[in-house]
Amino acid sequence: MMSNLAVLPIIIPLVSGILLAFFHTKTPFVRHAAKLLSVISTGVAAYVFYYVLQNGTVTLETGGWEAPYGIVLVADLLAVTLVLTTNIIGLACIFYAPHSLTEQKEKFYFYTFFFLLITGVSGAFLTGDLFNLFVFFEVLLMASYALITLGGEKVQLRESIKYVLVNLFSSIVFVTTVAFLYSVLGTVNMAQMAERVQEVEQQGILTTIGILLFFVFATKAALFPLYYWLPKPYTVPNPVVSAMFAALLTKVGVYSIIRMFTLVFVHKMEVTHELFIWIAGFTLVFGAIGALSTNNIKLVIAYNIIPAVGFMVMGVGIYNQTALSGSVYYMISDMIIKAALFLLAGAVAHVVGTPDLRKMKGLIHQLPLLGWLLFISAFVLAGVPPFSGFIGKLMIMQGGFADGEIAIVIIGLLSSLLILYSIMKIFVRGFWGEKDESITIDKKTVTALTWPVAFLVFFTVLLGIGAEMFYPVVDDISNQLMNPEIYIDSVFKE
Amino acid sequence: MLFAVLLPLVLTLLIPFLSKFKDKVHTGIFVFFIPLGIFIFFVRFIGEGFSPELESYPWIPSLGISLDFYLDGLSLLFVLLISGIGALVTFYSIFYLHKSEKLAHFYVYLLLFMTAMLGVVLSDNVYLLYTFWELTSISSFLLIGYWNHREGSRYGAMKSMLITVFGGLSMLGAFMLLHVITGVTSVQQMIGSVDLILSSDYLPLIMTLLLLGAFTKSAQFPFHIWLPDAMEAPTPVSAYLHSATMVKAGIFLVARFSPIFHGYEWFFIVVSGIGIITLCWASYMAVRQTDLKGILAFSTVSQLGMIMAMLGFGTEAAVFAAVFHILNHATFKGSLFMIAGIIDHESGTRDIRKLGGLMTLMPISATLALFAALSMAGVPLPFLNGFYSKELFFENSLHIGDTTLWIASFLKQAIPYLAVFGSIFTFVYSMYFLFGTFTGKQKLEQLPKKPHEAPIGMLIAPAILVFGVIFIGLFPNLFNETFLAHAAKAISGEDTHEHIVYWHGLKPAFYMSLIVVAFGTLLYLFRKKWWSIYRAIPGSLSFNRVYNGILKGLDVYTAKLTKSYMNGSLRRYTALIVSTIIIVTGLVMAGTNGFTFKTDDLAPVTIPEILVGIMVIAGAVGTILAKNNVAAIIILGVSGYGQALLFVFYRAPDLALTQLVIETITVALLLLCFHHLPQLSRRTEGAGFRLTNAVIAVGFGTLMTLIGISAHSSKWFTAISDYFLETSHDLGGGDNVVNVILVDMRGLDTLFEITVLGIAAFSIYSLIKLRSKEGE
Repeated sequence: MMSNLAVLPIIIPLVSGILLAFFHTKTPFVRHAAKLLSVISTGVAAYVFYYVLQNGTVTLETGGWEAPYGIVLVADLLAVTLVLTTNIIGLACIFYAPHSLTEQKEKFYFYTFFFLLITGVSGAFLTGDLFNLFVFFEVLLMASYALITLGGEKVQLRESIKYVLVNLFSSIVFVTTVAFLYSVLGTVNMAQMAERVQEVEQQGILTTIGILLFFVFATKAALFPLYYWLPKPYTVPNPVVSAMFAALLTKVGVYSIIRMFTLVFVHKMEVTHELFIWIAGFTLVFGAIGALSTNNIKLVIAYNIIPAVGFMVMGVGIYNQTALSGSVYYMISDMIIKAALFLLAGAVAHVVGTPDLRKMKGLIHQLPLLGWLLFISAFVLAGVPPFSGFIGKLMIMQGGFADGEIAIVIIGLLSSLLILYSIMKIFVRGFWGEKDESITIDKKTVTALTWPVAFLVFFTVLLGIGAEMFYPVVDDISNQLMNPEIYIDSVFKE
Repeated sequence: MLFAVLLPLVLTLLIPFLSKFKDKVHTGIFVFFIPLGIFIFFVRFIGEGFSPELESYPWIPSLGISLDFYLDGLSLLFVLLISGIGALVTFYSIFYLHKSEKLAHFYVYLLLFMTAMLGVVLSDNVYLLYTFWELTSISSFLLIGYWNHREGSRYGAMKSMLITVFGGLSMLGAFMLLHVITGVTSVQQMIGSVDLILSSDYLPLIMTLLLLGAFTKSAQFPFHIWLPDAMEAPTPVSAYLHSATMVKAGIFLVARFSPIFHGYEWFFIVVSGIGIITLCWASYMAVRQTDLKGILAFSTVSQLGMIMAMLGFGTEAAVFAAVFHILNHATFKGSLFMIAGIIDHESGTRDIRKLGGLMTLMPISATLALFAALSMAGVPLPFLNGFYSKELFFENSLHIGDTTLWIASFLKQAIPYLAVFGSIFTFVYSMYFLFGTFTGKQKLEQLPKKPHEAPIGMLIAPAILVFGVIFIGLFPNLFNETFLAHAAKAISGEDTHEHIVYWHGLKPAFYMSLIVVAFGTLLYLFRKKWWSIYRAIPGSLSFNRVYNGILKGLDVYTAKLTKSYMNGSLRRYTALIVSTIIIVTGLVMAGTNGFTFKTDDLAPVTIPEILVGIMVIAGAVGTILAKNNVAAIIILGVSGYGQALLFVFYRAPDLALTQLVIETITVALLLLCFHHLPQLSRRTEGAGFRLTNAVIAVGFGTLMTLIGISAHSSKWFTAISDYFLETSHDLGGGDNVVNVILVDMRGLDTLFEITVLGIAAFSIYSLIKLRSKEGE
């Protein structure tokens, strides 16, 4: 079905970002306008999601140039689900931002960068064109460079240079890979690529190019052994920025892996997907180890991004419908909980004045609600029922067992324990114990910082207890992923 | 049943409100009626005609997760224990916990636990069971950490959580495997597919994972170490969770899945083997403890081991004895914990070295302790329930079924001796607990408080339990047919008609009891003589040290390992990332025969092209070798201009122009930057470092070249660019195809590339301005 709806989740944040740039000095106005625009954007995303759920994939041939020649946007269920999740996270962040940022930063185009980041992310989810995906990667990366350096503190610049350079490198490889693929397949339209790769049964150089493309996305997704750039740089910007990064950027990488390796490169699974399982295993282990290696609570959470990505890629590697459903479910859950955790850690560090766990104790007396939200989050992350992390992990691991992938599932179970321990350490050492009288809190700020966290944690609980409501959507998504012809037909057979 | 399970959970919502009145009414009074009500609701199921009931509600049917509650004899036994002991403990806690404590927290956790535990024993759905299972771990964690201002409390809470959640996750693994193999999620239906499971290749794995869950929860050797540290919890919690109910969840799990593994010999070996080792080790260790609750904790571990061993025997009579002992243990151990709590409450200490001679000061407590402790010791008196179950244990240890594996046969021979050994020490620690506290010399000067008898309210709960000890002792067969037989049947699958008698005649079991009493008395009386043996065994060895070592190791080595590669050096990161890409992609290319090389569609190479090619390469190499930054930039420019020349050769003047402009601007900008930057000389690196980098760089270049050549040699399809050429004029309205592509055909790309530039501009602006404004 052809409809302009597909482009709305890209255009609205783009226009919002540009509009807000004009009023950047009028802080109170911009704050309220940003909230309003974010609500509108979320509302539209919700409508597009609903529409796609009811009517099937919506496509848009931009500029009226028919596929595969022009750029086609493909709003399939996976894409719109992720777009909606992105907007919900954005909503929480936009309400958190004024209480966390200095007014200076807000004046210097924070909200513009923020909305353009959303533009890039939504675009990456929605596009059906590999080169256009590269362009949206550039948009979101450039916005992220702007956000990570906003403020220009010494430590920020030192860490972000690593972030920027590694990502620039992977962008170069990305565009080179697109060129290679164009040379072989003569197209950059994903649906047509899928058709053509199938036609030649992914022979010759194609698998190699596929793996190269995988490494491009794996670098963004922070898989083993490519994630070095991630942990530290994620701890230096404002928590609101870290939360957006943690929730969205790595997941765009995971999304791209899912898209390319369920749609296009699916004919040499014994090579590609087997490799994913190995990489997922190492990612799980090393990520969890990293999370235990530090006393900086922001860094603990940053490291926790890594094993979660490992779980998602594990599902892709296993590649059956159960496991893929699990990957998608886990991805949605993880986007939300990671955002929540970064906002939470930011609020805690804000109150205590440092993210160093060794300087915290008895915070439950001052921050009871945040403490319990952290407690719940630990179980969401570890995959304990009835929270959302469990549903995703359960399906991934069931899928693994069904295909006889015993070792990776057991690694998954053990890493869950380590993940739980890494967060529980924060709860026990930081929140339990004697009250620290030297810490005083500003109740109003704390409340304002707490609600967005609670809002997000609420969703993860809902996704767990109410899994039956969401499961059909995810099942539908994985069904589409397992049957690439659905995607191809939606692009070509109109 | 759903209502009964969820009732405590629902009440937790009211607790914060109810606790507002805690100055007037102790919050525990409201809570007390919940377990009491549940007890009354379920007690009516007792009867000879009892038959199992199933209640089902949908939850996440798509994943096979539903709220299936199944009440059979086994669950009924546990439900009554949970609600019955729960009511008594709550009642006791009203007097134990002062109103100045955080009562709301305590009762919320306690109610959370009740729901969890009822859920565990009533769930028929494995995932639901797992959900409640983890919830018991969580509520136990919170209760152990109730006094979290104490270091020991935090340590104990974390320890119990890590060990039990480890077990829980492993149990989940077993459940998933069972689900995948049988295709069902109901325990009863799994039991129906027992043949499928027993013939599966994964059987040993399933059993191991499942038993890890059971053993960690029920504190079996060597996972028992969390239980003594869990004694940091308030005593009502120890009596309830860590003696009567939660720690029996592992027993429950083994019992629940016994029908599946019944015919599998390794099940006997592992369950009985670990059970009997636990019994011996823990009872031996209990004598060494100095904390009253420590003695009781090890005692609980050892008793759980005994029950576990009997479940492993698997014979109908042994299973019945196990069920009987679950009930008996709850009565005498529950009351002993409460008495320990009373002593702590009234004297201010639980250190047995400071206690003694309290009999005269606390006569009622002493009397209650006397009966409970003698029952625990298994003293052959006709009114102590502990004696009956101990005697049944001995008898069954002599009648284990047939074995085929040598290790099973060996175990079968060894078990009776080990049973006697463990029971001797059980006798010793029982005496030690009883006489060490209540007889001997009073050391009042060492006590923080002057001890006196507890208020009557606090004595009621243990008195009721001791009454149970004697009542069951006097009428051991009262509940056989109506209650215990149903539970045994649920485990062994066979109808059970046991009759318990006091006097068996001069049978081996009776001699075993006599040996226990005789040796036990001797060992107790001369305990000072052999005490030093603890210095040899376990000496300084302990599983706590293993646990602490693992945690310490996690702290130290995770940090070491992570720091070893996350050293903050961007060069290092890039080297690692690029090497990974080279190795893996290279291997894939070799493995899939990816390389192809065709020259048939290549144009002839002219001399100017070769010269320009050399120029580009020379520029690239020269950049690396240049000693000075400015020189490097200028030489790099040579490469860029060379590429521009190539575009000219290939008749792409617009591209050539673009390239020229970019090169010129870049060089100019960089020179400008370096003018403002401090004069940095290039760092001189070691030869090894440079060699590695050279290898990586050349490797990556080679890889990309090979892929590029192969990609060029594999043009299998017509490119979509033909369409652009054809339609550019008619549909795009322009004859410059590149322009039409940029502004029309792929206008979206251009729009967002412009956006990228815009963001960059804003970002640079704010980077400069914000810094100077904030005065850095």
